[in-house]
Amino acid sequence: MKLKKLTALGLTLALSASLLGGCANNTPGGDANTPAPSGSQSGGEPAATETIKVAAIETSYGTDVWQQVADAFTEQTGIEVELTVDKKLEDVIGPAMQGGEYPDVIHLATGREAGLTEQFIKDHNIAEITDVLSMTVPGEDVTVGEKIIPGFVNDSSITNPYADGKTYLAPMFYSPCGLFYNKGLFEEKGWEVPTTWDEMWELGDKAAAESISLFTYPTTGYFDAFFYALMYEAGGEDFFFDATHYAEGIWDTPEAQAAFDTVAKLATYTNPITPAQANDQDFTQNQQLVLDNKALFMPNGTWIVGEMAEAPRAEGFEWGMTALPALTEGGDRYSYTFFEQMWIPAGAEHIDAAKQFIAFMYSDTAADLFAAAGAAQPVTGIVDQLTGDNQIFYGIYDDGAKAALGSFASYKSVAGLGTVREVFFDPVNSLVSGSMTEQEWIDSIKAASDQMRANIQ
Amino acid sequence: MKRNKGRSRFIALCVAPAVILFVIFMIIPTINVFRMSLFERGAYSPTETFVGFANFKALINDSLFIRSIQNTILLIVVVTMVTFAFALVFAGILTRENVKGKNLFRVIFYIPNILSVVVISGIFSAIYKPENGMLNSLLSMITGQTVTVLWKDEPLVMVSIIIAMVWQAIGYYMVMYMASMASVPQSLYESASLDGAGRVKQFFQITIPLIWTNIRTTLTFFIISTINMAFLFVKAMTSGGPNGASEVALSYMYGQKDAGLYGYSMAIGVVVFLFSFALSALVNRATKRKPLEF
Repeated sequence: MKLKKLTALGLTLALSASLLGGCANNTPGGDANTPAPSGSQSGGEPAATETIKVAAIETSYGTDVWQQVADAFTEQTGIEVELTVDKKLEDVIGPAMQGGEYPDVIHLATGREAGLTEQFIKDHNIAEITDVLSMTVPGEDVTVGEKIIPGFVNDSSITNPYADGKTYLAPMFYSPCGLFYNKGLFEEKGWEVPTTWDEMWELGDKAAAESISLFTYPTTGYFDAFFYALMYEAGGEDFFFDATHYAEGIWDTPEAQAAFDTVAKLATYTNPITPAQANDQDFTQNQQLVLDNKALFMPNGTWIVGEMAEAPRAEGFEWGMTALPALTEGGDRYSYTFFEQMWIPAGAEHIDAAKQFIAFMYSDTAADLFAAAGAAQPVTGIVDQLTGDNQIFYGIYDDGAKAALGSFASYKSVAGLGTVREVFFDPVNSLVSGSMTEQEWIDSIKAASDQMRANIQ
Repeated sequence: MKRNKGRSRFIALCVAPAVILFVIFMIIPTINVFRMSLFERGAYSPTETFVGFANFKALINDSLFIRSIQNTILLIVVVTMVTFAFALVFAGILTRENVKGKNLFRVIFYIPNILSVVVISGIFSAIYKPENGMLNSLLSMITGQTVTVLWKDEPLVMVSIIIAMVWQAIGYYMVMYMASMASVPQSLYESASLDGAGRVKQFFQITIPLIWTNIRTTLTFFIISTINMAFLFVKAMTSGGPNGASEVALSYMYGQKDAGLYGYSMAIGVVVFLFSFALSALVNRATKRKPLEF
């Protein structure tokens, strides 16, 4: 009896101990409110044994390249790198960050469904990195600012989200976005790639006669780059700035109407099965429509080639890419320049070393390694390093297309308001399926835009 | 007296681990949900501001939230009714009738329950594919013309989710009912058939009343699990789209967290919590019968 009792007690104690053992002492990674040191910092060499945590999203460029770049960085500076690369990076680093433990460097672009980067921007939770621009690139004698292609920082609402002249996000991996199509099909049919939207509609009618739809899109998320370029075409830079800052009455202007009309008309030319597949589970089926010659154009980025590399395709298929057709004869044509971002959470422990890591991203060594994986760093002269299809795609700006840069201004989250994607682009699904009219779409944008303006940061 | 005290201490010590676990992982988080619903903060931001009931007030005017609740209720009502009807009838047939390969059917019906929701959504992605999908191909074969029903597009997307959820749940509940039906004494059926009751009458007059306690319990389970499963299915199959048409309460809550409204999403959590509590109580009350014994 006594033995039984003792055993039970012992087991219980063991269980209790293991329970408490789970609550291991995790010291939070630094003071979350540490202000970012300002001013030039090029001299501050950290101790050689320092280790920084780098978290990067895995995309079609693969994981190996990150290890290679991290190794090169360690070799150059002596700072060790602990790397986390994952396709669902938000799920991997998110919980720890909620507990106050931040990686030192995060490479994760805005515009993803989980919107992690946007949340950090909205919360003013990102360390300022303006001084990185004047830092010398490790192993070289030029500054970061001199290496980055002009226009990517300072002028960009993405890298300077608060429009206060301070940089918070470093531009990474840029990619021209445009309309992708099957070059082989155009040659076979003797069709010209349209240069104006009027030609586009003509082509749409011609293709419809052969049971080919003019347009499809993977998900509505791909409309951001498309719509940005369209806004530039409709009203140039000033209009784009006003529109992306939700200026009063901006959606009533003829420029805005032209952009809305184009999207609404395009919706009627879109392959009708598109919205049924425009979700994260089935979006590759929409991309497949172009490979199968069931739709002519889709908005996309240069990564599409790698993403669909294994997919079956129509005979004679060859990737082509064009800027958006002009709204008027002889008007400007734009291609949106998408780029990813690298940033330092304000709560990071090793901010100085993290800044060095970011500076190293623009070194020739890193840019070469990235280029070999198909990713183009926004440093001068990078296009010459690219090969194959990429060289043609990145040459789009040499063929007369103008570069569209920027994005909707960040606004404080408001309950029930929705994100930019939910307000502006998700309704395209409803436009295509016919459950929403163009006017309903515009009205909902106007209503949301008023709230966004009131909460702009 | 002294012995009694030692005994209580011993019991307390034995119960302690479970109580501690329960408090840490159930009670505290639940209280926290209620607390955080009164604050406004981002998921990753270290600061929070007290806003009182502002989040709840905003909920009432949020048309997207109302739609997500409507979808949730639609799923609870339709999926529950269809699943229970099918599960009971199949269980009745498999226990009462002399069906060949009874066990094989049981296994086949149960399989969807073992599959993960992600696998199921993959399977249904192939079934619902507009071109060359299983369902559309079948319909084309029957009608003799090319059918392109857009199962995951706006008017039909909820129906598609309902079908997948019913398919997944039937087997589990069928097996549960088969177990309790098997314990209904054969003699009751024999005397009923002597009195001239047919199969259908026997099912409604004998089988259903005698397993009523079981039905009641599973009904409560099922309603709560439907609220949770709806999130998984929507997340994996449609991510709430197209244009929010298939958003359910929990997926909307999750989305609001990603939009940087942690407090607001917790307010949704509170509403869902209270809603499922109230619904379970209501169902429990409405289905109360005097238990029959055999």
